[in-house]
Amino acid sequence: MGLKKLAARLAEYRERQEAGRVREIRPEHVERIIAKLTSKEASLGEEIAETRDAEKRTRLEQKREIALEQIARAEWLMAQVNKPAS
Amino acid sequence: MRTRNYSLPAALGGLLLVFWISPDLQVIAAGVAVFLFGMRMLEDGFKLAGSGMLERWLETATRSKARALLFGVASTTLLQSSSLVSVITISFLSAGLISLAGGVGIVFGANIGTTTGAWLVAGLGLKVDIGAYAMPMLALSIVLVFQKSKPLHGIGLALGGLGFLFLGIQFMKDGFDAFQGQIDLTRFALPGLLGLVVYTLIGAVATVIMQSSHATLVLILTALASGQLTYDNALALAIGSNIGTTITAIIASLGANVQGKRLALAHLVFNVVTAVVALILIVPLRGAVDWIGDALTIAPDDFALKLAVFHTLFNLLGLGLMLPVLDRLVAALVRVLPEKLPDVSKPHFLNEAVDEFPQTFETALRREVQHLTDNALDLILQGLNLPSAAVFQSCDLAGTVRAHRAQLPLDYDDAYARRIKSLHEAILAFCSRIGDRHLAPDIAERVYELRDVAGEVVQAVKAVKHLRKNVLRYTTLSLGLTTQLYDGLRTEVARIASEIHALSRTDSEERSALWLDQERVQIEKDAHATAQRIDGLIRDSVLTPGSATSFLNDSTYAYAAMRQLTNAARRCYIERDRAMAEVEKILTLEDEELHDPAAPDATGPRDGHDDSDHGDVTREA
Repeated sequence: MGLKKLAARLAEYRERQEAGRVREIRPEHVERIIAKLTSKEASLGEEIAETRDAEKRTRLEQKREIALEQIARAEWLMAQVNKPAS
Repeated sequence: MRTRNYSLPAALGGLLLVFWISPDLQVIAAGVAVFLFGMRMLEDGFKLAGSGMLERWLETATRSKARALLFGVASTTLLQSSSLVSVITISFLSAGLISLAGGVGIVFGANIGTTTGAWLVAGLGLKVDIGAYAMPMLALSIVLVFQKSKPLHGIGLALGGLGFLFLGIQFMKDGFDAFQGQIDLTRFALPGLLGLVVYTLIGAVATVIMQSSHATLVLILTALASGQLTYDNALALAIGSNIGTTITAIIASLGANVQGKRLALAHLVFNVVTAVVALILIVPLRGAVDWIGDALTIAPDDFALKLAVFHTLFNLLGLGLMLPVLDRLVAALVRVLPEKLPDVSKPHFLNEAVDEFPQTFETALRREVQHLTDNALDLILQGLNLPSAAVFQSCDLAGTVRAHRAQLPLDYDDAYARRIKSLHEAILAFCSRIGDRHLAPDIAERVYELRDVAGEVVQAVKAVKHLRKNVLRYTTLSLGLTTQLYDGLRTEVARIASEIHALSRTDSEERSALWLDQERVQIEKDAHATAQRIDGLIRDSVLTPGSATSFLNDSTYAYAAMRQLTNAARRCYIERDRAMAEVEKILTLEDEELHDPAAPDATGPRDGHDDSDHGDVTREA
């Protein structure tokens, strides 16, 4: 997981937020995104289970890996958002 | 033969003639003018001071009928302008931000909210020296109007507007008091049914001319208070003003789409039905007003307050009649004003009605760019000899692609001009108006981003045009390896089109633009795999370097189109909630991460090919 890039984007967002140019991200916002990513991951899992074609199956598995990576990123962001401001 | 419009000179001439006959009428007319000017200022002030607050409330207000109704009552009571509320509602409905049932609920509520105006004028405006309050308000307002801060400027306009409203009422009062000494208008009073019909018509016409039922009501109340009108005729005038007030919504709906027109019709139906019922039940309603007046300790000869009671009562009666049939009314409106089969070459969302407010401006533009993307996907697939319906329903895209070898009848350039270029031009023209709108910087930034997205979609269509020549050459017949290679590209483009189409059809509460990152990673993997496969084919002498170059150039166009389409779609379908959109922006993969998203801070070059040579595979093979 490219944490440096993610952290840099979060820092850039916080700068804009402090300048009052963007809305504050609250835990429920990240939670809703995680729910959307999880539902996609689950539907990919179902599709994989139903697929007989090997090539299509490989593609779907690769997509599922990305979905899991995105969920991990979103969970990292959730932890940052939940951290008390220093 | 050209016809000339004489209405303006006739209106001005008529006014001058009336002023010559009776100079006191000038004061009444000036009162109406100052009142209308005040209303306009009040509306402008609320638009500026609210900074879109009203629009934000409006978006959440229509989640239930009760909330829509309450919003209509509260916003009209606050703004003292049902016209402004109806115009905003039509704008939001045209942009697809609220439902028709929600919009109808707001307009019904606005009819109740507007009755508070009669109470304010009858209960306060006619009983105190309202003009005295106007003077400090106007003086204070001008100080605020000169401030640079938008909210302060808006508050100044609203305060000044209120001051002019009060001043207008005072002028009308003074005008009627002076007029009383000259002419007794009650001589023109008409009793019975004839009086009801004639004065209802006069009330409607007066409101159509002034485009404000508030102004008509204030005029009626001041005339009634000075004894220039009989109570019965005033009741009919109030009923007429309710019919006349529908003109504002009708005018606003002329520039709106069919949803806006349906709402204006709903407003007309509500007010006409209410007026007809009020006219039929005028005797029991009059009795009910007396009874309520006694209960509220209103003096029997305080006809102005009794008129306010009547105005509220008959509007509540209308609501009681129409609310139970709201769903059936909405169904009937959809039947009576059906949506015409949309012309794909014309903008569906960019109309005058959405031009008014920043939120509707941005949303309408976003939907139009989505419309452009839909057109682009359809044309791109057709350009690759793939019917979009077959692609979007397919469970086996590679099989669907192999099954479609026959050339589809299509003039790509003509279709591009009709379905892409025309829409792109409309989008650019719409975005160019941003300079006149003084939009907030964040909204302006998103508008410019959408303009760029539209540009990317157009580039994708152009990229596929380059690819089309060889696709037609090698995929309409089965020509072995070359056909396989081009079928591979067609399948990948079809897969991206299918994913974007599926995303567009998913409920916005369920979908996330982040899903497209999975396709972006896949595109880079496929581009890399294709390049490697071609290298292998050259090494094994199955493909000559010349043929390989032509195919690689075509594949560059194909992957460019895929990247442009996915980039456009993920920006089009980004979360509407601004905080959630920021979450998506933080989480989305950057281009250099696409090659290995799980790698710790991955970097890697994207596969790129020289597109200077775009030749013919068979010629070189």
